[in-house]
Amino acid sequence: MSSVTSPNPPGALRKGPGIASALRPTSMRWILRFFGSSIGKKYVMAVTGLLLVGFLVAHLAGNLLLYADESGGKFKAYAEGLHDLGPLLWAAELGLIGLFGLHVFYALQTLRDNRAARQSRYAVSASRGAKTLASATMPITGAIVLLFVIVHLVHFRLDDAFKGDDPAGLVKSTLASPLAAAIYLVGVGALTLHLSHAIQSALQTLGASHPNFNPVREKLGLGLAVLLGLGFASFPVYALIAWGGGNS
Amino acid sequence: MSAASPTAVQGAASPTGAAGTKQGLKLVLKVWRQGARGAPGQFETHELQNVSTDMSFLEMLDVLNEGLIREGKDPVAFEHDCREGICGSCGFVINGQAHGPQKETTVCQLHMRSFRSGETLVIEPFRATAFPILKDLVVDRSAFDRIVAAGGYVSVNTGSAPDANAILIPKDNAERAFDAAACIGCGACVAACPNGSAMLFVGAKVSHLAALPQGQSERDHRALDMVAAMDKEGFGDCSNHLECVASCPKGIAGTNIAQLNREFAKASLRSGSR
Repeated sequence: MSSVTSPNPPGALRKGPGIASALRPTSMRWILRFFGSSIGKKYVMAVTGLLLVGFLVAHLAGNLLLYADESGGKFKAYAEGLHDLGPLLWAAELGLIGLFGLHVFYALQTLRDNRAARQSRYAVSASRGAKTLASATMPITGAIVLLFVIVHLVHFRLDDAFKGDDPAGLVKSTLASPLAAAIYLVGVGALTLHLSHAIQSALQTLGASHPNFNPVREKLGLGLAVLLGLGFASFPVYALIAWGGGNS
Repeated sequence: MSAASPTAVQGAASPTGAAGTKQGLKLVLKVWRQGARGAPGQFETHELQNVSTDMSFLEMLDVLNEGLIREGKDPVAFEHDCREGICGSCGFVINGQAHGPQKETTVCQLHMRSFRSGETLVIEPFRATAFPILKDLVVDRSAFDRIVAAGGYVSVNTGSAPDANAILIPKDNAERAFDAAACIGCGACVAACPNGSAMLFVGAKVSHLAALPQGQSERDHRALDMVAAMDKEGFGDCSNHLECVASCPKGIAGTNIAQLNREFAKASLRSGSR
């Protein structure tokens, strides 16, 4: 073997790290290890969750334009502005789907891990008060939010009338139905409960935990969740009171 | 789960109650009995009369076992060693709470004055897949030993004893290290966690050595290897319920879990191809 001329003379190896060596499986091993680990999964849940909270803040700000004028002109201008983004809007929507998908995927993974880690139950179950209704029902409220988001997309994003002349009118006519308003209140209620644990929990997972500001972190998380919940719940409530009689 | 062979044990008289001057507690115990690992288990009901309020919970079980032995029955198996709250050997669940109802107290330091006469106490082993039940209230916690063996140590030359204060450690760091080092590895965190997660335990070990100069050279390896060992043992993922913190007999803080996450993320980024 030694007498055979190598197709790659030794000098060829001294060209420094190229793309090929950067993509060698060994150098990427830490990524696989990180995202396959229990802590890596929680990081993904936390980062995607907080980015989705950022989206909710922007979404609520846009929706509040419904209250800006009776004609719905400002809301229409906002909707048109978004549609005018063209490919950028598509990219943003794909990003949101990606965030949501990752969040749900890793939620299912951790749910599976946690079920496997605690297969037998105690005959007497007694919390020491640390666990909350919100923290104990995260998979349930998460599933309700997932179903709600699908209904919500069918109502608005996938309805051609939303790109038409009167998007505010579509909101009003949709939410004016008591059944739809009830669905939105349940969805927003589940979201609020979910976020009341999620925001502060995500920050703790990302390492933001110190005795000096833990109470602040917990109150800010709860406060943001309640603000978002009240904001989003205001639309079906307002629809029932102000728009319900006139449009139904 | 149904009660089997109820037994009434008499003569659990307290030292002070020998002359009948002080009335002890009357208790109904529902104790988990399981013959061996993987065997089916069930609750067994026993009644205890005149239990001294000065006894520890383990002494109360000793009295129960003496009665069972006198009757020719199999005594209830439970673990214990120092009975001073510092070894981490004891631990089971009383009425759904690891180490019982008293905050920051191991079950060996829990006294019967914490209970009322006439109470029914349901006594179960720690329940987690990573802690298989060996017999009655005894679970196999060797998963913790394997996690520590993966990196919960500092490598030092074990020659002659080093000079005192040869390595200066700022007071704040020493305090933080000691707060985390107070963990006795009893496993109550895993038992209390709805997810059977060991992150408070691992967080305490990683945070303890990360606060000290002796722990720096192996800091990254420690975080990566201990988390890998933890995951391999089948513990769950932390959802930040923090029932572990509320149940910890040594008051280990939840900040240790956040630090574990930081240490693991930093070590992962720095580890490259390792």
